[in-house]
Amino acid sequence: MTARAILQHALPLISTHGFTRKTLSLAVMQLPTPHSQPLSETAITALFGNGDDARRTLINGWLKGGLEDMQHGKTTGGTMQHILKRRLRWNEPVLEHLPEAFALLVAPQQTLPRFDIRPAISHAASVADEACYLTSDSPEGTSWYVRRAVIASIYTAAELHQITSPQTSEAFLDELLEKSESVRRVVAESSLFAEYVGKSWGSLIKSRGIF
Amino acid sequence: SSAYLRSTPDFHSATTLTPNELSLEQRHTLDAALRVDQAGEIAANYIYAGQMAVLGRDKAAGPLIQEMWNQEKVHLAVMNKLHLQHRIRPTLLLEAAKVAGFGLGAVTALMGKEAAMACTEAVETVIGEHYDDQLRDLASFPTHDPSIQLLKDVIRELRDDELEHLDTAVVNNAQRAPGHALLSTVVGAGCRVAIELCKRI
Repeated sequence: MTARAILQHALPLISTHGFTRKTLSLAVMQLPTPHSQPLSETAITALFGNGDDARRTLINGWLKGGLEDMQHGKTTGGTMQHILKRRLRWNEPVLEHLPEAFALLVAPQQTLPRFDIRPAISHAASVADEACYLTSDSPEGTSWYVRRAVIASIYTAAELHQITSPQTSEAFLDELLEKSESVRRVVAESSLFAEYVGKSWGSLIKSRGIF
Repeated sequence: SSAYLRSTPDFHSATTLTPNELSLEQRHTLDAALRVDQAGEIAANYIYAGQMAVLGRDKAAGPLIQEMWNQEKVHLAVMNKLHLQHRIRPTLLLEAAKVAGFGLGAVTALMGKEAAMACTEAVETVIGEHYDDQLRDLASFPTHDPSIQLLKDVIRELRDDELEHLDTAVVNNAQRAPGHALLSTVVGAGCRVAIELCKRI
């Protein structure tokens, strides 16, 4: 019985019991060789940490599960849209518990700083990185960062929209991706045009014999 | 490196998968190594682009620099594929590497053919040592993984190509460049600083 195995079997219970120590406790009864009793509080603390630390471990395990689930999106569709929608669908069974889960991740664990937004940024960045990797959308240089920042922002907006209005979240995601694509096209075409203008000026200057 | 350059897709795990069983330290080492390698190949491409901008029409130096540049283009293509395979974050200093590379190539070319060759000699000396250091670091990685074995072979091949460029530069009078010792020291030191920065940023 490893902590990893318990965490794995706790994921399907989250929709019923939330991101709680109780979920971890009951997970042992779902193992291939199930326990007859739930895990004790002492055992949960030993395996997953004290108080809310155990809940954060569960939340992080669930987020990791979401990233692994995205990989199945590659075999059944493979576009950015498809893969991000798949990630949003991972949220659906636990949607009512998500606000509390995210709040727990950014809640201060010490007096300062008051809020730690790094987990939120890390979550969006991980989803964006995974999506870009699965769609082989990895341009070089600074575009690598820009593309991931754009996808992370789109996904974050869609996820927040999903919490308040789950039925329209996929349409909202489609709209954001479409807008981002048209901006990308405009920037690419403008750069190409600027390059042609630059080259033609270079040729004009050369033809004047200045250089 | 031909494994990465085939026009038909190769779904062999050595060119498509990254090893899962690396420790965190090994993963950071791999990450930093490939990040700086890509930056280095981009800088090398731009150094040769800068040299070609000045010496491209020279009947002796032009074709020589073009041939070395063509090899660097192949190196860069391989590095880009390695980045995709091992999910490496590129350095934030890539644009700086392009500007610095082009500037270095153009300035040394303006100083003369010998200075351009001296620049190549200095850069390739540092790069050759750098690839040797990487091969030493990779020696502790799991040997059964085909992608790591292929990576070592690729780095070995790239190192040998860079040392060949070094030999070419020496044969073409790099050491007759004005202020050769100072030029080599400055360029070499700059390369070492760039390597350390690109590993971390």
